[in-house]
Amino acid sequence: MPVALLRACLPRAERDELLADLLKEHAVLAASAGRGVAGQWLWRQALHSAPSLLGWSWRRSITGFEPRANTYQPGGFMLKTFFADARYAARRLRARRTYTLLSVVTLALGIGGTTAVFGVARPLIFDPLPYANADEVVTFWMPGWWTEEEFLYLRDKFTGFRAVGAYRPGDVTMRQDDGTMRLLPGRTVTSELFDVLGAKPLLGRSFQTGDDVQGAEPIAVISYGLWQELGGKPSILGQRITLDDTPRTVVGVMPRGFWFPDPAVRIWLPKVLDPAGRNGNYELVGRVGPGENVNNMATPLSRLTTVMHERFQYSAKADKTREPKVIPLRERLLGSMRPAVVATFAAMALILLIACANVAALMLGQVEGRATEMAVRTALGASRVRLVQQIVVEALIVGMAAGIAGALIAAAGFRLLATALPIGVWGKSTMFDWTMFVVALAISLGTVLLVVFVPAVSLWRGDLRGAMGSARTGGIQGRGGRLEQGLVIMEVALAMLIVSGAALLVRSVSRLYDINPGIETPGIAVIDVLSSGQMTGVARRQKIEEVRAALAELPGVHSAAAAIKLPLRGKGDSFNITIEGRENEPSSYTYFRVATADYFKTMGIHLKSGRIFGLSDKSDTTGGPVVINEALAKKYFPGEDPVGKRIMGGFRGTWQVIGVVANVAEAALTDDEEPVRYYLGDRTFWMGSNASFVVRTSNDAVAIGMLDVMRRTVGRMAPDFAVEESTTMSRVFDAAVGPARQIMALLAILSALALVLGAIGIYGVISHFAARRKRDWAIRVALGLPGSRVVQHIVGQGTALVAVGVAFGAVGTVALSRLLTSFLYGVSSVDPVAFAAAASILLVIGAMAAFIPAHRAGSVDPALVLREQ
Amino acid sequence: MSPASSPPLGVFEEQVLVAVLRTAGDAYGMEIRREIERVTGRDLAIGAVYATLDRLEAKRLLSSTRTHGDGPSRRLFALRRAGAKALAETAAMRERLWKGIDVRALVRLAGA
Repeated sequence: MPVALLRACLPRAERDELLADLLKEHAVLAASAGRGVAGQWLWRQALHSAPSLLGWSWRRSITGFEPRANTYQPGGFMLKTFFADARYAARRLRARRTYTLLSVVTLALGIGGTTAVFGVARPLIFDPLPYANADEVVTFWMPGWWTEEEFLYLRDKFTGFRAVGAYRPGDVTMRQDDGTMRLLPGRTVTSELFDVLGAKPLLGRSFQTGDDVQGAEPIAVISYGLWQELGGKPSILGQRITLDDTPRTVVGVMPRGFWFPDPAVRIWLPKVLDPAGRNGNYELVGRVGPGENVNNMATPLSRLTTVMHERFQYSAKADKTREPKVIPLRERLLGSMRPAVVATFAAMALILLIACANVAALMLGQVEGRATEMAVRTALGASRVRLVQQIVVEALIVGMAAGIAGALIAAAGFRLLATALPIGVWGKSTMFDWTMFVVALAISLGTVLLVVFVPAVSLWRGDLRGAMGSARTGGIQGRGGRLEQGLVIMEVALAMLIVSGAALLVRSVSRLYDINPGIETPGIAVIDVLSSGQMTGVARRQKIEEVRAALAELPGVHSAAAAIKLPLRGKGDSFNITIEGRENEPSSYTYFRVATADYFKTMGIHLKSGRIFGLSDKSDTTGGPVVINEALAKKYFPGEDPVGKRIMGGFRGTWQVIGVVANVAEAALTDDEEPVRYYLGDRTFWMGSNASFVVRTSNDAVAIGMLDVMRRTVGRMAPDFAVEESTTMSRVFDAAVGPARQIMALLAILSALALVLGAIGIYGVISHFAARRKRDWAIRVALGLPGSRVVQHIVGQGTALVAVGVAFGAVGTVALSRLLTSFLYGVSSVDPVAFAAAASILLVIGAMAAFIPAHRAGSVDPALVLREQ
Repeated sequence: MSPASSPPLGVFEEQVLVAVLRTAGDAYGMEIRREIERVTGRDLAIGAVYATLDRLEAKRLLSSTRTHGDGPSRRLFALRRAGAKALAETAAMRERLWKGIDVRALVRLAGA
């Protein structure tokens, strides 16, 4: 009872501490003097305290005094006013639905987009590599050019390095329980690799010295993902799996999150190294020794090249020791993807900034619209801190709502973005997780600060009493609004950056599509297969022919062919060439392709002179036929007819040129013309274990529909072939156009977003101007100014703002377009056409956005306005 | 002998300020009440102590901060410069007031 009395009289902030102390004292007293005495004491305390406490509360309510120590207490100043402000802001936001919705959606798009890009970029840019002290790990120059012979000779001569290992692509087929083949992306590695990376297996062991020498037991280390697919049991160690028809013992499982050199790789195999192995597309990776500096490896490298030169006596043309250098592993593995991700990230951050400017302008409009209310509150004693606090609370509510919506947008858009960006397997392996929500929230908090800054400054500086005065007159001199104008200019400038970036890419990509690859891409379906490494050449040739014939029989197929490598997919093999009668000339190399007879017909490669392979060539035994391209004819047979000439090199024997075909973009779309010779698969052997089947159909839609049947046909005819990829030549062409195409698509979408946001900003600010000067216009119209002049003036004002923004943006674009240089082809990064296009798009959209409020202002009845005021 | 510059403290206010000084470092409401009770021997209502502490802080003679330990956080008080000055002035005033008065004679008189 006495406690209840005290509780009723005490201020909230002090209640708990005082009652707790009082009850403690009461307990001490009860223990020493008895409960009765203590009870009396408590009553006396309550009754004597009540008048003072009531007086205290009354005084606080009159003076408004609140000790600083109570600021963050329940019932204290900050929290009390915070909740009051939050309630008020929520009420205001509910009442202004369009404003609220526009702000939340605008910010959510920016936050969601930025979060999603961050999610995709994180493993590529921010996450550490899954190797111990990854900074010490480097790759060597000439990636993909090292041979087994070179590596074995140099193995113990890498001074300055703790360890050096080699690896090369080594996809293998795995026979599954149902007898079908499955392709496993893998790497063939030397025993040092895992030591170089400093990676410890989760189970079992990695490779050790002796695993890659003659007579070693065939073993494999598998990825966590593959282990899970194979059952995820520890008993996997020691188990045998059949890879390329060879049983191999699994000796280790790498931990979850480990990848090398990309997340698609599921298996690592040691290879028995051949000390005389001349070919081999190995890449070297090493860990620098103690005391060595990754950035200063010139001395160890020069020692290495001296040794190499002494041993291998490279010719001047093929001197591998010319530019020795080491490349940080991160740069080598992820560097190529960085520009695309950074450009997208930059564009997304710009969108977020535009969104912030937009909402800041909207909020500024709200603040100005509330000038009278603010002035009244100031007159009644509200401090500026309180007024600013109120806007901050409002912005916080909007920001948090946008943060939540943004996180949802990010979750939905993440996968889309991951596949849209040119980051290959990384797009498939990145995962969306809860940290993204934290990021979204952090971004939205930052956004709130950005958004609220301008209105808060305007409120802080603003002459509020003046606002109250001018509210009555309707603000005839109400010009001002410089902050709003500044925001719109900034928005337009930022939009200009994105739009001109997109325009640059559109131009660049359209140039790439204009290139004639020398083949008729539409309507070609492609199936890539990998045959078991154990298959003999004759068996493979037979199988390929059987599958090709079966494919040619499929309904809708005009012709079918096979080749070891298709155009637009990288260099492939080169071999030396010698012309009969000119054996003394220095040897040189040309691309080298093996294909079936119908290859040219199926791919749409035009014959220029002579003939292409025919039925008779299959049985002909006197000399092999070879078809060359125009570039080869031009380089080796200038001014003469190459048909009938004979060449040597590569395959044994002499080969007669039977025809010349048009140049084809063999390796990359933008390459110069390259000499190529084509051999008939029936007369030679199919090198390597890769082959591609192509069929010509009437169009791409048919080709896409054909892929499944083709895949099944391959599975039925040749269970030993694992299907690597099924695609169409048009998609291969798209891939050859490269990352620019994908970045262009993304930037185009972002540009559209930037334009919409920019238009909203311009519309908002201009309508606000027009509304504020309504009375002004009304008087002029009443005095005889035609409405069209009003429209003209307001649209002019809007367009002028856009023009200033475009000018600022153009300056920024010149500085920022360097980000895009690596994607540009045939276009300068300061391309006037792209800039002009971007500027005119922005000007047109700006004028359109300004026209709506202008039209409204011009068609208003002056009598109505003047009476209103 | 300079005249006092701030308004004179009430007796209870003076007691509370001195108690804050005496309990320095541990000067929260209940401890201050105990200290005054101990010195004056009078029963004192906690409400009066709190109300006075608050008033003294409003007059900027005291400042308070929150301590966080076990149980509810407490307001811990400390003398501000103005409080110290007011207390010093009050003490000086008392000294002047009692100057020349024989306290022992007074006690004797009271006992008579």
